[in-house]
Amino acid sequence: MSSYWNVVRADVQRCVSGKQTPLRRAAIIGVHMGLQAVLVYRFGRLLSASRKRVAVWPLLPVGWLLYGLAAFGVRRAYGIHISLSADIGAGFWVGHFGGVEIMNCRLGQRCSVGQQTRVGHAEQAHGPQVGDGAWIGAHARITGPVRLGNGVTIAPGAYVTRNVPDRALVVGAPGRVVLTGYDNSRILPHP
Amino acid sequence: MWSELAADARLSSRLRWPDQDSSLRRALIWLRSRGLLVLALQRMSHRYMQRRAQHGWTLGLILTRLLLALTRMPIMMVTKCDVGETVDIAPGVYLSDCGFLILGMARIGSGTLIHERVTVGPRAGDAGKPVIGANVWIGPDCIIYGDLGDGATVLPGSVVSIGVPSAAVAAGNPATIIRRQFDNAALRRTLARDIDSGSLAPG
Repeated sequence: MSSYWNVVRADVQRCVSGKQTPLRRAAIIGVHMGLQAVLVYRFGRLLSASRKRVAVWPLLPVGWLLYGLAAFGVRRAYGIHISLSADIGAGFWVGHFGGVEIMNCRLGQRCSVGQQTRVGHAEQAHGPQVGDGAWIGAHARITGPVRLGNGVTIAPGAYVTRNVPDRALVVGAPGRVVLTGYDNSRILPHP
Repeated sequence: MWSELAADARLSSRLRWPDQDSSLRRALIWLRSRGLLVLALQRMSHRYMQRRAQHGWTLGLILTRLLLALTRMPIMMVTKCDVGETVDIAPGVYLSDCGFLILGMARIGSGTLIHERVTVGPRAGDAGKPVIGANVWIGPDCIIYGDLGDGATVLPGSVVSIGVPSAAVAAGNPATIIRRQFDNAALRRTLARDIDSGSLAPG
């Protein structure tokens, strides 16, 4: 349970920092659609992980009802669809909103995705495996059973269907590696 | 602000009903155009921001602030658009009614058409915002990081990271200039997207 809260805290800390006043932090969480979508996803993952804990079974129907309503709202109102089939590490950041679809994939820790991003496909059970610290730009698509290394940078609009080594910069459709050893820490969002 | 919005409504109505523009249609289009809703919110936020910097707090500004706080999120949810409040939009701009626009440029010139699912913004880690000229046609699914000159055309699905000169056509991912002198007046007359590829051949 404590690990669950650490994950949620890491997600929130991508958007707010301890230097801000509590009111400011609450305001950011209130308007940050990506963060709200990630929190709903984490709640759904908590519910599916609680399946084997008999002690919490009475709470599960209410929990699934709340999750269903929240996930439906996030999908329709924000256009952000983070499926529970995706396995996403701590510190996930969704920038802006609209057209985000993440399913049947595994994302490492501290990943960032932009708007209109599609990772994984509903009809492909084995989707992309993305390492830690990946930055996936707006309108990017990653499909198929591909492996992306740690710290990769997918440029906006890139279409990735092949494996990508660590710390590579991928550009274009079809995506090609234009640079290896690219440091994406400069472009990561900071609270 | 009102005259700018009237110019937007005139352009929207002219695009939708090219041959039957009338003042009644211009009034009715406010009820069904989400692009105009986005423009109205943005123009109000922009004006609020300017007035706030000039005058400090006044009663009118406090009321505007409350109105914006209450309407911003619902309008974003309905239209799926986020247009930055610092963007300087000239009168008479068309934004798609299908939404999914994330716009963070410095300026948009008048007579510009922006279709759905378009992202415009600074390069990641780079503070310089792109400038969109007048009479630009931007197709759906585009991403734009470079400046677009007056009368430029960006074909659907392009990722433009270079500056596009006036009257040029950019296409591809990453985009290249495929034609230097192209008059996009025919494209800007209606909302039809059937581009005559023959007229766009490198010439």
